[in-house]
Amino acid sequence: MSRLHLQDVRLAQGGRPVLDGLTGSFPDGAITALIGANGAGKSTLVQAIMGLLPPMAGRIECSVPRERRAWLPQQLVLDLSFPMSVEELVMTGTWPSHGALRGYCAAHYRKAREIMARLGISHLAHRPLGELSGGQRQRVLLGRTLMQEAELLLLDEPFANVDGETVEIITQVLRDMAAQGVTLVIVLHDLEQLAHLADRVLLLAEGQGQWFEPQVLLERYGRTPRGTAALSPLDLGGVAL
Amino acid sequence: MIDTLDALLLVPLTDYGFMRRALIAGLALSLAVPPLGVFLMLRGMSLMGDAMAHAILPGVALGFLLGGFSLPAMSLGGVLSGLIVAGLAGGVSQMTGHREDSAMASFYLISLAAGVLLVSLGGSSVDLTHVLFGSILAVDSSALLLIATVCSVTVLLLALMFRALVVECLDPLFLRGQGARSGLIHGLFLGLVVLNLTAGFQTLGTLMAVGLMMLPATAARFWSKRLEGLMGLAIVVAMLASTGGLLLSYHLGLPSGPCIILLAGIAYLFSALCGRHHSLLARLRCPKAVPDAADSEDSSTSPTHHRTT
Repeated sequence: MSRLHLQDVRLAQGGRPVLDGLTGSFPDGAITALIGANGAGKSTLVQAIMGLLPPMAGRIECSVPRERRAWLPQQLVLDLSFPMSVEELVMTGTWPSHGALRGYCAAHYRKAREIMARLGISHLAHRPLGELSGGQRQRVLLGRTLMQEAELLLLDEPFANVDGETVEIITQVLRDMAAQGVTLVIVLHDLEQLAHLADRVLLLAEGQGQWFEPQVLLERYGRTPRGTAALSPLDLGGVAL
Repeated sequence: MIDTLDALLLVPLTDYGFMRRALIAGLALSLAVPPLGVFLMLRGMSLMGDAMAHAILPGVALGFLLGGFSLPAMSLGGVLSGLIVAGLAGGVSQMTGHREDSAMASFYLISLAAGVLLVSLGGSSVDLTHVLFGSILAVDSSALLLIATVCSVTVLLLALMFRALVVECLDPLFLRGQGARSGLIHGLFLGLVVLNLTAGFQTLGTLMAVGLMMLPATAARFWSKRLEGLMGLAIVVAMLASTGGLLLSYHLGLPSGPCIILLAGIAYLFSALCGRHHSLLARLRCPKAVPDAADSEDSSTSPTHHRTT
């Protein structure tokens, strides 16, 4: 039984149809990579899963309650000059249980510290967000989703503009989350990341979606064999299903 | 020496009831209004307060026409027209997909023209000056009560929605994803802005009430990088400016609104020159900080981007 299932979903953005006839299940405790060319509808699908965009037709069946769905947006959409410290941002992940009013107790601060240690950002706890590097910011945002105890986590290109150490740490944390049964959906561009991370792949092209095993996809579309160093971003512009 | 200080600082307050009332009104406003300004500034909506100040004018003028120089009528009119303009601007921008600031600019210009026309229909130019620039003589007990009530409600509501506002400023999609009504929070916040501008127009005038909101906030930005620090400092600056401005206007026979706002303006200019962060002096002292500063200013442009999508 999967927590997240799409049934004949049709999505439109501003009246323009983007995706149609999307069916399939995102497996629990596994990482599903969402790939496709620019404009193929990846972000649209993520928004729909988060419940921010109702489908035109079909059903998105998601048994995860809203407050246990987390999403890690691309960094660019956040105002990171906001005067807030790393610890404070991680603590906002308590929103589902605490809302706007309930006070934090010592246990929550302890949990936040554990999360920051796991992500290697303990030493930054009291730094303002504006002083962090791209990779550090990404780890802080992931910290917020860990604080949320998400059962469904959507990530929009988490590896864009981050350093190697961050890639390693995030990969490890995501793997651990999957092992604990969390359903993960990641928008990816990079073949190498796909080979490392994905258990399943949903390829979006020409308004349609198709499910693959990563191995099959890499063999079919990857221009260089798996394992070589020079894996380039997937060119999916001309992919037909 | 002590006599001079007494004559300068205390005698105006001990001898004249209207000065005491004006001072209390100024201090109450200084407690409630600057935190709103801090949030407006952080959301990249610094000019929104200005637009709102213009938007309340036709309502105030209409209240003035119907009820004479009656505070409840003018305040009610101001709040209503402010909320209507904010709602219209939001609605038009959502319907057309244009950015909210262009709709806001159009509506506040219409409001300003309508307001000035209304006042000139019914009164003399002295009345117009009162409405536009305020008059400390106008602060009677009922005005004081109104201002104190509005300020208390504002401080309480801000405390209640503080976390929601912070989270919404940083990442509105996070809140929406959580099923929280971020539109409601945004609307409530704008409502508070309108309410406080209306409360402030008695002492400062409709056009200048927004000065006490924005200038202390923008000045504090040069001294603190923490939200609590920004708010505390902004409140202190506003209180000093209100007290100093009132005394200045008393001794020199000048209108009170401009005196208060100009003092706050001086605090801003001083901070821009000598503040701890990103000021001219700070840049001269440690030139390495410049790219960092440029970077953070760069990223501060992104929220406006984001807010329109």
